[in-house]
Amino acid sequence: MIKILKKHYEIEEKGERLFKIYIKKEDLLKTIDFISLSSNFMTLSQISCADWIEDEIFTLNYILTTEKRDKNLMVETNIPRIESKLPTLLNIFPQAEVMERDLHEMYGIDFIGNHTLYDFALEDWKEIPPLRREFDTLKYVNEQFDFRAGREDNKDVKAEIKRRRAEAKRLKNAKK
Amino acid sequence: MQEGFIDYQKVLENEEHAIKSTQSVIQKAVDWFRSKSMFVLAYGTGCGAIEMPPTFTSRYDIERIGVVGVATPRQADILIVSGYCSYKTLKRVIRSYEQMSEPKYVIALGSCTINGGMYWDSYNTIKRLEDYIPVDMFVNGCMPRPEALIEGFVKLQANIKDAKREAGYIRYREDNKFYKNNQRKIFGENIEPSYEANFAGMNQ
Repeated sequence: MIKILKKHYEIEEKGERLFKIYIKKEDLLKTIDFISLSSNFMTLSQISCADWIEDEIFTLNYILTTEKRDKNLMVETNIPRIESKLPTLLNIFPQAEVMERDLHEMYGIDFIGNHTLYDFALEDWKEIPPLRREFDTLKYVNEQFDFRAGREDNKDVKAEIKRRRAEAKRLKNAKK
Repeated sequence: MQEGFIDYQKVLENEEHAIKSTQSVIQKAVDWFRSKSMFVLAYGTGCGAIEMPPTFTSRYDIERIGVVGVATPRQADILIVSGYCSYKTLKRVIRSYEQMSEPKYVIALGSCTINGGMYWDSYNTIKRLEDYIPVDMFVNGCMPRPEALIEGFVKLQANIKDAKREAGYIRYREDNKFYKNNQRKIFGENIEPSYEANFAGMNQ
């Protein structure tokens, strides 16, 4: 089945079971419609998003999977971070409704045609969407909450583990 | 007195160990009955809820000390907040708590309710539960074992029986402004719950 797709798109093989296509955002609906009808990548399992603040883009991966769930196809597209808009996939995959609602809440991406883009897990959220990288989580937490006393002397866990391991090693060598 | 044995009578007569109680005899009896029948709301938040089924079923069988699960807040005496509370969950917790009839008590289970636990830097999880609802007993651990929860219940029973500490619901009534202000700080002005009946919708 992947052979049919290879006639139309440049497919990058990431492994035996994972393939990837890079497309422009204008071709998104057309491409996914075509793939879902003409190949055995027949359902959408996930939409993932990465925030590349340095390049001013969001990278979205639409992960399509086969009926037997043995192969995955990632359809990657980039959109600008400012006024990020995409057409909805509701007409092709109904399950996209929740995934798009989640992305709207966490990144502020508008999916045109999806009418469920209101509060989901975050109720009464007044700040910018929390998974955008310009949102400073630690600053927000320190302003919003009062901590119980006793956290001042907490240690950096990774550094502490490293120090303890080095010390154990030193003691072991000294015994020898 | 034989050597190696404690003279319990002396211990009891010692002023340090005497129970300093201002309860009347009837109040004492009422509190004793109250401590022996605690109805727990069947409600779980976060991962701590997984410790409750073994506590309530045959493995640890907490019913032997008089703790029973009930289905609705209006029948319940005890609310167990079992783990982290996000804003969305906290709203439901407060709503359940306010619907419970007095006397009512809160047991906070796990580190997350004490100081945020592993969610200390989460944007959406509260750090100290006692800022929003009064807590009668903290059980620490991540996660606490059912034994720890049972110990918490036993200590709470002792607190109720001897009236050692002021119960949380009294604090909630007296310091209501403190709790409501804290709740308003994270929920904004449209704070739930609103108990005003919606008469406009009744005729439809």
